[in-house]
Amino acid sequence: MPSRTGMRSPSSRRSRVDEGVKAMIGITRDVIDAGAMIEAAKRPGMGALVTFCGVVRDDGGVERMELEVYEEVAIRELEAIRDEAMREYPIESVDIVHRVGTLSVGETILLIVVGAGHRKEAFAACEYIIDRLKQTVPIWKKEFYRDGERWVPGEYAD
Amino acid sequence: MKIRVKAFARFREILGSDLAVEVPDGATMAAVLAALRDRAGDESGAIFDEAGALRTHVILMRNGKRVKRDDSDALADGDEVALFPPVAGG
Repeated sequence: MPSRTGMRSPSSRRSRVDEGVKAMIGITRDVIDAGAMIEAAKRPGMGALVTFCGVVRDDGGVERMELEVYEEVAIRELEAIRDEAMREYPIESVDIVHRVGTLSVGETILLIVVGAGHRKEAFAACEYIIDRLKQTVPIWKKEFYRDGERWVPGEYAD
Repeated sequence: MKIRVKAFARFREILGSDLAVEVPDGATMAAVLAALRDRAGDESGAIFDEAGALRTHVILMRNGKRVKRDDSDALADGDEVALFPPVAGG
């Protein structure tokens, strides 16, 4: 069994904790522990933590998925997205952990946690982050079916 | 000089994951792309069009920064070139 990754677990590969922003940005090959990440994100001034959890879907017989990453660039892009969100929205924290490797149906691919004083800005920032992530972060998915495989088509962004 | 090439997803399956291309000193991106087209052989159609140009959706990077396919800057020994299809994370 892979170990669990959360904010309190330093085992996540190449994840970083930035002092000041207190946010975690990471690419991991381990199971993502959503509960641990949410608990770790809490700060006294937060009244709302909005999370987006991306999950492997059984899309017409998908058995597993393999994800690959251009890691150095992906980390940099995730940090840039976090910085944009912190600048554009009145929020207190952004944590993003994306898993790569082999995942089964139902497993968590990605967890975004946005902490804010109030819910509306946290929802808006979370949606902004996932939309940007799908456009700019160099990660790819291959779906495996019983009788075949296919690369999930990406979004064309300029 | 030696240029390191990283290809991802479908392009990795065609070209290999970590390869090095030998080009003359002062060569530009065009020389690297020509070498990759040769290497891709029969499967080059996934990456290059009939005229040999990179397909429009292909993303190209030099040392982790996006560059245009017709970038005319000379490459340097040890540069890392990456090419990949549109991203599909999340």
